[in-house]
Amino acid sequence: MNTGAATSLAEKLSQRFTAAPSSGDPGALASYEVDCVRPAAIVQPADASEVGEFLRFAAAEKLAVIPCGGRTKLGIGAPPARYDVALDLSRMNRILAYDPRDLTLGVEAGVGYRALSEVLAAERQFLPLAPPFADRATLGGILAADSTSPLRQAYGGPRDFVLGMEFVTGSGAQSKSGGRVVKNVTGYDLHKALIGSLGTLAVITRVNFKTFPVPPIRAIFVAEFADCAAAHAFSMEIAKSPLGPQMIEEVSPEAARLLSSLPEQGTGLASNLSKALDERVCSPFTERWSVVIVAAGHESVVERHARELRSLADRSKAVQFARDEAATEEPNQSALIAALCEFPRIAQQSSAAATIFRIAAIPTAMPALVESIRALAQRSEIPHATIARSSGLIYAALLPTSDDGATVEHLARASDEIFRVAAELGARARIESAPLALKRRVSVWGPPHEDFELMSRVKKVFDAAGVLSPGRFVGGI
Amino acid sequence: MNPHLIRELTDLLGRDAVLSSAEDLMLYEYDGSVEQAQPDCVVFPRARDHVAGIVRLAAKYKVPLVGRGAGTGLSGGALTREGGVLTVFSRMNHILEIDAENRRAVVEPGVVNLDLSRAVDHLGLYYAPDPSSQKSCTIGGNVSENAGGPHTLAYGVTTNHVTGLEVVLPDGQIFRMGGKTAETPGYDLTGLFVGSEGTFALITEIIVKLSRKPEAVKTLLAVFDVIDDAPETVADLTGRAITPAACEMLDGWTLRAIEDFVHAGFPRDSAAVLLIEIEGLAEAVEAQAAQVIEICNLHHAREVRLARDARERDLLWKGRKNAFGAVGRLSPSYYVQDGVIPRTKLPAALKRIGEIGEKYGFQIGNIFHAGDGNLHPIILFDQRDHAQFERAVAASGEIMRHCVESGGALTGEHGVGMEKNELMPLMFSEADLDLMRQMRAAFNPDGRLNPGKLFPLGKSCGEIRVMPAGIASRIVAS
Repeated sequence: MNTGAATSLAEKLSQRFTAAPSSGDPGALASYEVDCVRPAAIVQPADASEVGEFLRFAAAEKLAVIPCGGRTKLGIGAPPARYDVALDLSRMNRILAYDPRDLTLGVEAGVGYRALSEVLAAERQFLPLAPPFADRATLGGILAADSTSPLRQAYGGPRDFVLGMEFVTGSGAQSKSGGRVVKNVTGYDLHKALIGSLGTLAVITRVNFKTFPVPPIRAIFVAEFADCAAAHAFSMEIAKSPLGPQMIEEVSPEAARLLSSLPEQGTGLASNLSKALDERVCSPFTERWSVVIVAAGHESVVERHARELRSLADRSKAVQFARDEAATEEPNQSALIAALCEFPRIAQQSSAAATIFRIAAIPTAMPALVESIRALAQRSEIPHATIARSSGLIYAALLPTSDDGATVEHLARASDEIFRVAAELGARARIESAPLALKRRVSVWGPPHEDFELMSRVKKVFDAAGVLSPGRFVGGI
Repeated sequence: MNPHLIRELTDLLGRDAVLSSAEDLMLYEYDGSVEQAQPDCVVFPRARDHVAGIVRLAAKYKVPLVGRGAGTGLSGGALTREGGVLTVFSRMNHILEIDAENRRAVVEPGVVNLDLSRAVDHLGLYYAPDPSSQKSCTIGGNVSENAGGPHTLAYGVTTNHVTGLEVVLPDGQIFRMGGKTAETPGYDLTGLFVGSEGTFALITEIIVKLSRKPEAVKTLLAVFDVIDDAPETVADLTGRAITPAACEMLDGWTLRAIEDFVHAGFPRDSAAVLLIEIEGLAEAVEAQAAQVIEICNLHHAREVRLARDARERDLLWKGRKNAFGAVGRLSPSYYVQDGVIPRTKLPAALKRIGEIGEKYGFQIGNIFHAGDGNLHPIILFDQRDHAQFERAVAASGEIMRHCVESGGALTGEHGVGMEKNELMPLMFSEADLDLMRQMRAAFNPDGRLNPGKLFPLGKSCGEIRVMPAGIASRIVAS
């Protein structure tokens, strides 16, 4: 869109809809850029009916709209095919219903994760989302990006605890599915399709959740191993035992170094991070693989974990096993756990050309996959870091020191190779973060899959005219 | 039915896999709901290619097509409401793969729910969703209806345990979605297809999660002298964030009916009992049991009895799971409802159900999944008396309306099917339903797959005053 047209669109929008106060300011518009494409205007609706009205207008005017909240994950997905207006949901930040005694919650999509967590914490409850960008992310954004977390081990993902949603389709129709109660099979689960849809199907306006009690006691354990295979074997032993920890994270030596070398500024993380990651727990200079485990529940449950994890670690030839005593005193302030949740963000901020793979794998395939990616990165001389979540998810980050053409060339070859190895091992890989030059060369969603045709049918139902986030999703949806 | 279609189906499947005589078809005009609708032809595929072939023939002859597992469904989902070909999956009952280390099984749709748990029992694993009919219902049917069960309180319903599907669309195309991995890039098609009540596709393969069997189990029976104390206890347990694996309530009238039939050990002179099961790590079970007992006592439980061994536990559960059979002995007809309310509103809802029973002159029994607010009121009446029958239908409608008005849902686990399709406007606007209809059309464009289900058939009725024929004819004659 040329400047003149953009200005007139911005004016037209500001007459009809609630534009952001700074909508005409080029600096403000720049902060809404997606892959260097700048929108002509920002609309900040007050409620779902305004979202509907705006999307009907957008459909009639054939505008391309990208919904957003905290704008922390706009880099996910392929570069947009078109982008005219940013639909900023951050004003829709009300908690609409919270019944702590029923453990149910209904919120607008623009509610901030941090603010909501505080409200829930006052009732000793929480949502097991533990997403990256926790200080700025909104609930709508977390769900649209299907942000993952170490807690999936114990609680599952949002598809397991979102009870229903209200949303507005690409044609501006206000709609809903699911409900507000913890058990319900009335009608199609359309909202499941919205989780992870990256704003390509509908604009989420309300989400109903099941909430969870905060466990009375939480303890953190770190076991260290000589190599990846030993670390993973330990995780698998835990999975086979009767123990049920809240999280099990396998951290590569490079990832441990990355997490412990964090600058205090600009990450939004607690400043005592490096203290928590002291030499006793995860030596920054070690070549060891760490397995971080969180056990939670009644005191007797946590103590049983402490005993049996230690003996499992011994049997699995752990080099070291330690309980993070600091974390016992203030478990919710654990910098180590915060750093693990924030791993994608920390990796992204550590390199201008950070290329981060999110790979879903069956547990038995994980060590081979991690080792291959590591060997590949070492051969290509690209710095790297990996964490593997025992829920079946690997974050593998390639973190080059420069972002020049040759580096992108290297990254492109490495990416093709990673997609190939993942497919061979029955894993499903995607790139969650990459420099634009790489995204133009490599499909971030990985090789096409046979279910794509069904996905394009789903897209047509929700957004036949292609108003919402065109081009960003799988197969160019 | 067109003899050419029968011949082509016979050529495809063999003579022993096609039924079309009147006496054979009669056996397939019912399901668990005892709604009635006769198919024109029943076929038994043995493989995916058979299913694809059946689907293509149904398309060629433009006849309706409905999938069916064991036919235990309670909302008429497996009935051929508009006739056509009924595809019964009972011969596609193979467990194709058990991957214990990765906690997955790949099964054909006709595998019986409990058979899967038995097949992995020696590995210390089981399949968690446990509908009351789990001895006979199939996993394919469970997936279509997104079935629940008592233990879904802690472990979730079917959709929480399915990671991948292979389906055949009504045009004969075969697609695989999801997989063994915890997630796959793109839209969550698996999540969309589970619970689509057989209106999107026929399912030919399912990838399910296997769960580790709990180390310890405690089953408690809390006995109350005042009925209101039982729902208050449940509300308090929820409010204090204590989540047992199962929490079932039986009112006095129902537990007496069960005692007469099963002798499960429910005290006949009590006003209500809660059947509470706690599972997990031994230490966690100990701690939680102590909390549960404390809260039951706080709400004036006369006694809280602990099942001493597996035999006592099984007996208590036998009582719970045979409740409908027990009630069936007492009344010429009964009608089991399925609605959901927020747990905090449980005491009020039971009062309301009692009032509705009084208003219409019925005994209404209550036996249900209290922990997740999933009510199953049972209305006893005599179907031969037309006026009574009309009143039963009206009472049932009032109960459902109360559920929705309390912020609840029309069905917690039985599905909409042809039982509640006309009630959908109580919960969803015309725009909501239109979008759902469009989703159905995306996969099932001419609506030949399981027609007459889920959506209201009379488009113009703004408010529903009379229950549709679907519900009325579902009322069980015993």
